[in-house]
Amino acid sequence: MPSEHTRRNLLRAVGIGALGGLAGCTRGSMQSGGSSETSGSTGTGESGGGSDELAVPLDEYTGADIDWKQFEGTTINIGAVNHPWVSSIKPAIPVFEELTGIDVVWNILPEQQFRTKRLTDVSTGAGKFDVFFLDQVVNQFAESGWLQPLDPYFDDGSLYDEQWYKPDDLFEATTWQAHGGGYSDTWTGMPITVEVQTQFYRTDLYEKHGLEVATTLEGFRENAKTIHEEESDVVGTVGRGQKGYGMNIYVLNTFLREHGAELWENYPKDSGLDTDGAIAAAQWYVNLLREYGPDGASSQTWSDVLSTMQSGRAGHIVSDANLFWPNLIDSSSSDVADNVEIARVPAPESGQFGPNAYSWQIASSKNAKNSKQAFLFMLWATSEPTNTWMHLESDAAFSVRRSVWENDEFRSRVGEKFAQVSLESLEVAKPDPFDRKYPEWGQKYSEELQKAIAGTKSPEAAMKRAAEKAQQTFQ
Amino acid sequence: MSTLTETKTATTSNLARAKELWNEYLPYWFMTPMVLVMLLITVFPGVYDLYLSLVHYELTNPATMGTFAGLSNFRAAFTSAGALHSFGVTLAFVGGSLALETAFGFVLAALVTGVKSDRMQAFYRVAFILPMAVAPVSLATIFRIMLNSEVGVVPYLIATYTPFVAPNFLSDLPLLTIILVDTWNWTPFMFIIFYAGLSSVPDTLVEAAKVDGAPLWRRYVHVVVPYMKPVLFVAILIRLIDLFRTFGLVFSLTRGGPGTATQLVSINIFEQGFKFVDLGVASAIAIVYLVGIVALCNVLIAKVGFDGVWD
Repeated sequence: MPSEHTRRNLLRAVGIGALGGLAGCTRGSMQSGGSSETSGSTGTGESGGGSDELAVPLDEYTGADIDWKQFEGTTINIGAVNHPWVSSIKPAIPVFEELTGIDVVWNILPEQQFRTKRLTDVSTGAGKFDVFFLDQVVNQFAESGWLQPLDPYFDDGSLYDEQWYKPDDLFEATTWQAHGGGYSDTWTGMPITVEVQTQFYRTDLYEKHGLEVATTLEGFRENAKTIHEEESDVVGTVGRGQKGYGMNIYVLNTFLREHGAELWENYPKDSGLDTDGAIAAAQWYVNLLREYGPDGASSQTWSDVLSTMQSGRAGHIVSDANLFWPNLIDSSSSDVADNVEIARVPAPESGQFGPNAYSWQIASSKNAKNSKQAFLFMLWATSEPTNTWMHLESDAAFSVRRSVWENDEFRSRVGEKFAQVSLESLEVAKPDPFDRKYPEWGQKYSEELQKAIAGTKSPEAAMKRAAEKAQQTFQ
Repeated sequence: MSTLTETKTATTSNLARAKELWNEYLPYWFMTPMVLVMLLITVFPGVYDLYLSLVHYELTNPATMGTFAGLSNFRAAFTSAGALHSFGVTLAFVGGSLALETAFGFVLAALVTGVKSDRMQAFYRVAFILPMAVAPVSLATIFRIMLNSEVGVVPYLIATYTPFVAPNFLSDLPLLTIILVDTWNWTPFMFIIFYAGLSSVPDTLVEAAKVDGAPLWRRYVHVVVPYMKPVLFVAILIRLIDLFRTFGLVFSLTRGGPGTATQLVSINIFEQGFKFVDLGVASAIAIVYLVGIVALCNVLIAKVGFDGVWD
């Protein structure tokens, strides 16, 4: 496909490259924009909002049968990545401090540095962080005995009120991930954000070529083909090709499960990666990118995918985080702001709709001195009043609570279509199960898939080799 | 009384002896703090690394942590952890980058040395050093965008101003791409050392060769380069060691991919240690790598030598 580059596109790409705060899209990546910030005794940061008036009325919480004040006068340390969740909740921190009398100290770092610091903190038993962000390494940490299981706190009447907290309001996908994706009998932490995969497409090109939004993989492929062949400087679709356990396989796993395959059909003996469904999914995704994707699709990260779509050089994003939406419709950074639409991820004609989803959670270390205080913080942060406030008063759109996605004011702010597609997708989302060796076999699986996308291996051979490597990690 | 005198004499004599000892070993006393620091920051981590390589140290498997592993970590490094492949990739990367950086650095230095105007020389010096000032991760991010097939300026320039089709740098030519980007980043280092070396070549030698009718290339091959041999050797040795440590630039550009096409040893060690949290295997690879680099450098020093450097 001939390329047409403009200075404007280049400048935009540079701008996009600098984006550091796209929620949830940095897993498995080295994107490390942002600041390193500490507060409290060590530093320079802030410990909450600055307004005298509380963001959320205290009576939203005091009605709960919870002894909020039992740890008054103590302090909790929160280890966090530079993430929109932090900026969204910070103005409400004085509410927590007033409610509980517990001071909050933030330790905010770029993602990769945070991961290293977190590993050091928990593996050495230092326990500096009472609360910390947790991701795909949840079972790595849980099975090493580093995490504080939260069930005893849920069972403690002075710490938890089920009627007030409404745990059923949390999406099943998020509570499942907070239980180690099926590998933990207890709560390993509490979900704070969720993203789900959706499809994005260009309405102007759909109108021009008389296309219908595809609900099936076959239909999507046809749409991508039409745009790829009919448009001189637009590729049919873009998708993550870069290796990394949060990169290409994060997208492929959607299609894998939609094809009826399952990761670890028999854990840890049969990875399921070489089943017919998994191979069919890989063939579909690899062929789609190779035939209708950009040149060099195998090296595309989430930010490349986003920037290509924003620059108007792609007809679709086949499947990626719904959180791309604000960036795609922002006219200051997107050429297609007025011509982009969101839809559910396509599924095989004979398969089942099941987009991948991902949650950040917050957890506490077994060595933390203030795990109970940490639990109160987690409870407060993920409660309905705090969550609703965050999503109405900031740009956040990653609520783990169904009620927020159904809230009219929120839907009006983020857009009816975006909210509805996200909600429908979240209701049936099937996240990845992150067993303790996931970082290892996931990495190897993603390497094999990348080879297939780069064209150095057939999808079938890549998946068979991925299965072998995944199983070898448990020998 | 006599006892007191004896005591005083003995004290004086002890003080004098201590002073004598202090003066006699003065250089060693000054060295002691540094030696202690070096022991702390190099010997201790080295010994600890050796210990880790000989025990099971998978953080997610606390049951076996610290138990003697024999050479199983080394075996795992070469069988399942891909150490052999990453050594090969690293050698190709180091060899390619070093050759290009040395050649470009020398040519640039020779060209700038030949510039007559002092002001222009100063300008070129600054201009050519600038790439070295960019942090590897920033550089990688910039190049990722510049090489992007859809929005990058490099494919655009190739497609627009040359008869060639722009390649997919990061997916089709990953090894060459990381070599070229590293060359862009570090040629200035070689340039500045060679520039200093060239400036020290006596004009009389070059003039004499000129008078004898030696053409430009002969003057360089038979006069300038032999004279600069120690400088060349030191620069190459420093850069060689530094290249073996490359991590951030390549990790940010390719993450070691596609597949494992650019999986340097440093990236492999990082993945084994920080992603798969198997510090035993990571340490085993690191030990083999360290021994290999030290051996290579020693062979180079023995074969080529520092002749002339310490004269």
